[in-house]
Amino acid sequence: MLTLALVGCSKDPLRDMTEEESRIYITNRDSSADFHTFKTFSISDSVSVISNNQLEGRESTPLDQLYVNAIKKQMTDRGYTLVARDAKPDLGINVSRLYNTSTGVISYPDYWGGYYDYYDPYYWGYPGYGYNFPGSYGVYQITEGALSVDILDIKDANESKTINGLWNGLIRGSGVFISSAAASNVKALFDQSSYISAN
Amino acid sequence: MAVTVLLFAGLDASAQRIKLNINYGVGIPASANFKDYVSNTSFRGWNANLLYDVNDQLAVGLGIGSQSFYQRYPRAVYKTVEGSDISAEMTNTVTAMPIMVQGQFNLLPEATVQPYVGLGVGGNLILYNQYLGEFGDSRSKFGFAARPEAGVYIPVGRYKESSIVIGGAYNYLPFKEDNLKNLNNIGIHAGFKFPLR
Repeated sequence: MLTLALVGCSKDPLRDMTEEESRIYITNRDSSADFHTFKTFSISDSVSVISNNQLEGRESTPLDQLYVNAIKKQMTDRGYTLVARDAKPDLGINVSRLYNTSTGVISYPDYWGGYYDYYDPYYWGYPGYGYNFPGSYGVYQITEGALSVDILDIKDANESKTINGLWNGLIRGSGVFISSAAASNVKALFDQSSYISAN
Repeated sequence: MAVTVLLFAGLDASAQRIKLNINYGVGIPASANFKDYVSNTSFRGWNANLLYDVNDQLAVGLGIGSQSFYQRYPRAVYKTVEGSDISAEMTNTVTAMPIMVQGQFNLLPEATVQPYVGLGVGGNLILYNQYLGEFGDSRSKFGFAARPEAGVYIPVGRYKESSIVIGGAYNYLPFKEDNLKNLNNIGIHAGFKFPLR
């Protein structure tokens, strides 16, 4: 009770936070890579769906298409030429939808505590009665979604016998899977990656 | 009868020598590093103390309080390690909760407006958070706290036992954790002091 009184004045950072404000854009690059040496790219129209680090399959929903098209636009605006996958592109791009589910346990009696939020039992026609909740636990799950974009070095794969990842962009937060935000989300990733340029 | 009256008078007088003071508080970050973390003035604070009047000038007792600082920064790109960037709206919060032994000295106990000085020494529970977007990292730490203060009492009421309190303090809160050093801040408070019966 004392702790509650002491912290009662603090402002909740998550209150009044819009979906756009909640989102973070993380980019990681291979610092040794020179993106100017690459000229063409290819991107699949389907998106990998990864749930709790397991590949569930590949899909091509309308939302996925919006993201793929937005990436195509960003790359072509930066001087790269879109080619087919079998045309030996310099760069390959993967797009993935990531889902992570976390599970927790809540004790109902602890959560509800007293019934001060409920109507007095008189309301239900039982004056003088009390409320009772069985001592039960509930399990809740929270699923977080994120979108990941990987740019891979295809040009040098044959020489190194390895497909190296050159760049990863990750979008986390609320509203990642909203159609209206797809283009702006992708733009945000590329805006902080000015080194991605064919020129 | 006379003894009873004297005993009752003694008990009543003792109770009146214990006074509760509750104030609304404002906090202004003072140290340079604190202002880098949160520079906004905090209007979310309070402090309270329970003091025993040793005599008509000196009172000692315990004090507690809470002052919450909050600041949200516009979206910006932050570099973490080489090659890694995060674009986010950053929100920093600090809540300081001192618990201390306090003393106050009334400089002019008979005046209409009575200036006082005081000192509190004790501990400070710090809760601090940094959010990038909706993703936060919450931490807490207990440290030292010292609080020199000065202000005025303005006695009110028929018997002048209660007072309006207005004052200021320098909250010295040494701290060192991650990039956050020292949470020194200037406090301004106003409230009411009354005897416990």
